Amino acid sequence: MFPKLDPLLHSELRLAVMSILSDVKSADFTFLKKQTGATAGNLSVQIDKLSAAGYITVEKGFKGKMPCTTCRITESGAEAFRKYVEALKSYISQK
Amino acid sequence: MELNEELTAQQSLDLITKTLNNSRRDITRDGGKYFILWGILLAVFSLIVYALWKSTGRAEWNFLWFAMPLVGYPLSAALKKRSESVPDNLVSELISKTWRIFAVFAISVSALIMLSSFLIKDKLAGMFLSVSITPSILMLFGISESFSGILLKSPIVIAGGLVVGIGGLLVYYLSGLLVEQMLIFTFAGIVLALTGVLMKNQKN
Repeated sequence: MFPKLDPLLHSELRLAVMSILSDVKSADFTFLKKQTGATAGNLSVQIDKLSAAGYITVEKGFKGKMPCTTCRITESGAEAFRKYVEALKSYISQK
Repeated sequence: MELNEELTAQQSLDLITKTLNNSRRDITRDGGKYFILWGILLAVFSLIVYALWKSTGRAEWNFLWFAMPLVGYPLSAALKKRSESVPDNLVSELISKTWRIFAVFAISVSALIMLSSFLIKDKLAGMFLSVSITPSILMLFGISESFSGILLKSPIVIAGGLVVGIGGLLVYYLSGLLVEQMLIFTFAGIVLALTGVLMKNQKN
């Protein structure tokens, strides 16, 4: 029986954001935007969804005089991401 | 990248791999500029100390080395402030910490040996100063550079560390020269800067 894939992570942009955040301590909005190639609006919406699910934390502050949004993966987010990857692997290995 | 709920398992795994690789590559590339900066500084300072030591015959010019972090750290901070914000990952953090430890050891060991030889005012102070510090710094440099190479999975960088650490020591002991040993550090600076160039040009 295949494990169920987390619907929140099974989306291209959210998955990309989680992949990046799983590898770094934290990343700011500009870096995530550059890495994913997403529009600011779309990225912002997806970040809010991940934040609402408790997968990431979002901290708004300033870098010098410029506003800066910093995202960080939470423990539950890291666990969900790990389970998602495990589920993907089991899908592929049982093909 | 737009929303696409129709990802297959393979596509999802590919996306994760590609995103991680791109992100890691950009983080590594960003770190390259600091290697170039410190490499150039090391080469320039070694040439300045070499020129002054050679022309005056005074080993005390080695105290100039302490000006290197005073120049390097503000430049490094300015470089970080001016460039795009790039996060740290495990590899970049380990490389950064390795070189910070190198700096702590290099500065404190040099300071201890230089100050003790200065305070003792021994006739051979100049000789003691030059003989004791260089091998230690070369070994520390070689270890730090090789470890960076392991983290970067770059055999060229590992080899660079071995060449400076072991090759530099051999040149130092076999040549028996005092002033010219500064040129080993010039070479080490070039190796460091080239490591930075490799990092900046890293592909997935």
